Amino acid sequence: MSTPSATSLVTSSSSSFATLWARVYSQRARLLSTLVTLFGLLALTFFVGRVMPIDPVLSIVGPDADASTYQQVAVQLGLDQPLWVQFGRYLNELAHGNLGTSLLTGNAVSADIARVFPATLELATFAIVLGTLAGVPLGVLAASHRGRWQDNAVRVLSLAGYSTPVFWFGMMGLLVFYAWLGWAGGSGRIDLEFDGVLPPVTGLMLVDSALAGNWQAFGNSVRHLMLPAGILGLHSMAYISRMTRSFMLAQLSQEYILTARVKGLPESRVIWGHAFRNIRVQLLTIVALAYGGLLEGAVLIETVFAWPGFGQYLTNSMLLGDMSAVMGCVLVVGIIFVGLNLLSDLLYQVFDPRMH
Amino acid sequence: MSFARNSYLHRRLAGLLALMLALMLALLFSPPARAATPRDQLVIGMNMNNLLSIDPAGATGNDVLGVVANLYDYLVELDPRDLARVKPALAESWAFGDDRRSLTLTLRQGVRFQSGRPLTAEDAAWSLHRVLKLNLAMASPWKSYGFSAANAPRMIRALDARTLRIDFPEPTDPKMVLYTLATSVSAAILDRQAVLAHERNGDLGAAWLLTHAAGSGPFSLAEWRAKDAMLLDRFNGYWRGPARLRRVVMRHVPESLSLRFMITRGDVDLAAGMAGPDIEALKHDASVVVQPVLRGTSYYVALSMKNPRFADRRVRLALRSLIDYDGINKAIMPNYGVAHQRPVMIGLAAALPDPGYRLDVPRARRLLAEAGYPQGFRTTIRVLSDPPLINIATSLQATLALAGIEAEILSGTGNQVYGAMRDRKFDIVVGRGGGGVEPHPHANLRALVYNPDNSDAARLTNFQGWRTGFHSPAINRLIEEAVREPDEARQNAMYREVQQLYDSEVGAIQPIAQMQETVVLSKRVHGYVGHPSATTHLRDVYKD
Repeated sequence: MSTPSATSLVTSSSSSFATLWARVYSQRARLLSTLVTLFGLLALTFFVGRVMPIDPVLSIVGPDADASTYQQVAVQLGLDQPLWVQFGRYLNELAHGNLGTSLLTGNAVSADIARVFPATLELATFAIVLGTLAGVPLGVLAASHRGRWQDNAVRVLSLAGYSTPVFWFGMMGLLVFYAWLGWAGGSGRIDLEFDGVLPPVTGLMLVDSALAGNWQAFGNSVRHLMLPAGILGLHSMAYISRMTRSFMLAQLSQEYILTARVKGLPESRVIWGHAFRNIRVQLLTIVALAYGGLLEGAVLIETVFAWPGFGQYLTNSMLLGDMSAVMGCVLVVGIIFVGLNLLSDLLYQVFDPRMH
Repeated sequence: MSFARNSYLHRRLAGLLALMLALMLALLFSPPARAATPRDQLVIGMNMNNLLSIDPAGATGNDVLGVVANLYDYLVELDPRDLARVKPALAESWAFGDDRRSLTLTLRQGVRFQSGRPLTAEDAAWSLHRVLKLNLAMASPWKSYGFSAANAPRMIRALDARTLRIDFPEPTDPKMVLYTLATSVSAAILDRQAVLAHERNGDLGAAWLLTHAAGSGPFSLAEWRAKDAMLLDRFNGYWRGPARLRRVVMRHVPESLSLRFMITRGDVDLAAGMAGPDIEALKHDASVVVQPVLRGTSYYVALSMKNPRFADRRVRLALRSLIDYDGINKAIMPNYGVAHQRPVMIGLAAALPDPGYRLDVPRARRLLAEAGYPQGFRTTIRVLSDPPLINIATSLQATLALAGIEAEILSGTGNQVYGAMRDRKFDIVVGRGGGGVEPHPHANLRALVYNPDNSDAARLTNFQGWRTGFHSPAINRLIEEAVREPDEARQNAMYREVQQLYDSEVGAIQPIAQMQETVVLSKRVHGYVGHPSATTHLRDVYKD
């Protein structure tokens, strides 16, 4: 074992310092870019929201209010101030951790979001788990049986799942599984008899009912969740299976696959052990983006199932010109996507050996 | 190593698929979900998107009337089966001054708020002062009688703990004021101390009352999750005796078909605001009852006389002949409204029979040619994207085209449609409105026809007459005189004359139908009587 020279020690120490600095710098740059993105998102939403022909004052005072009432409320809301002053005030409040008050519900926007977001989180998480568990194997099956009936069947299934509006699926699902068969729980997150019974801890019905040890409520909320989550899952499955098929086909035409087959490896090992291993990173991105889209709010499914979630809250706020609520939601959506990107990056490091 | 990992992956995958299969099988073979609502609870399914505030000073829309009527008490009430009959409520008696310039109400003894405090005439006076001081949406009817924040303390006074005196700043029909006390959200009596305990920056509790209540009604607000659910609990100390239901639950169900499934499954007891075709389908269901209630509001076609084309009487007459009244009322309006072509609501003594307008394309073409538009013209129709309004607009678009008028439909939210109307920046609006909460011709005419100052600067945005730019000094004068006329027969004759004048001058707002709200009730529900003024009381409702 040779002793390192003084020069090499200095070099090594300065090299690790440089690496550390580079890492810190890179994270700082990333943080800065995230902040700039969020700021841009907020500014864009604010100014576009203000030029849209939606009048928050009218949403509050109603269409029959007289001019003096209208003017008074507009002043109370600060809408008589220039746009940049209004935006500055919003940023100032935000810097103090205040997302503002919803003009229309009268609640703090953060409280409103804390109430509606868990409903969507629960729905989206179930949907993406179902979509991934079904979509990935189906995509692999289609790619490994390219041009055969299995491929065609998956193609038809995914085409139907992707092109049929979720609204229609929702209606048909309610008709068959709720109205006719009585298997599904119907609209809302839980039956009336459990409404207000569970102490809200996380806002996730399944978790809260499990924490309370109320297994009847747990079963009931599963019943309510399965249909909307299944329909959204079908939609995600269609997308994920198509992408999986496409990624797998690209891998299966590579020379290393040919080599593996020539070596006499079983087909299952060629597919799962070689080709699939190499698409995991790409799939992660696809799944993360699909999950992000679901978290942003599946407003149609939320409407059909009267699911008091984030999508409905955001859409209603936009339609009524409730800009504090819209801005709060946009911030949350931005943070979700940043978070999912970070999570994908972390998982890249787990799945992609080149990142080690 | 790799092979082992693969086997592991396969096993995990198989395990997960088995779990999913087990869950699905469990769902398939488990007994159907419980489908009966509890006997002591009434579950109402409705679209709660328009339920934004429950503050009596600022709450707008029909939905809130039904909520406030059960959280608070009013001084008087209208009999839902005979609107002309005013019934005692908090006030056990009342009397008009000899000069018709005042109203004195005597409050009953022993009424307590839900907080336990006794309800007094001071609370009643303060509640009305608050509406005027805040000057929010519901101050409008009071301002139309001449009340203001400045004169309210002088004009609305508690003479003692049980006597409330209201002096009218301007001559008016005292019946109108009494009707407003019975039907307007703004007339709900608030627990002054409870509200002031939540006052912030001198807002008279406005921020708190957006989502809370402080009344003496048969139900108290237990929980409100906006656009999700509202829970009302029985107030056991209610002065009329406790309500028969322990709890009323309102659930937000924005989609009509979902609501239809829920009422047929028994998951809701009452479905409100359903689409016409869904209601029609339920008429054959033996487990439900369909209950229509006629409201005083009209579905109408409004023209802007700021547009020089529509300022021409001949063009307005032509458009009046280009509406397929019969087709719209037969094909679109069932469960939404009943045919009606006058601005004064059906059922009032002053209401005239319909003039019998009908679709007459040759006449419309002739009038348009006389006005200089033989080939028609291009225009726009603003309309809400909800049924039946969008369907009426589509019908209108088709019949206008028969005379060469090419109309583009601009559909949007209430904000976009009525916002443009308030700014007088529209051509045609297919809308709904026209007062009618108070069963008095003045309520309709004030909302739809009256326009005392047609200048842009006047900004009389609360008058739809001003929004359309229709200005008739003769009609305005008659409306002002009629509301002051003490003799009822003469007053009715004056209102009939207004309608005839409106007909001959070709008003800018053409009613097509009078609104009908249809609710679907489970047969288990008894005692529900929908109120034409939307103040439906649930205190006597019960279930099998």
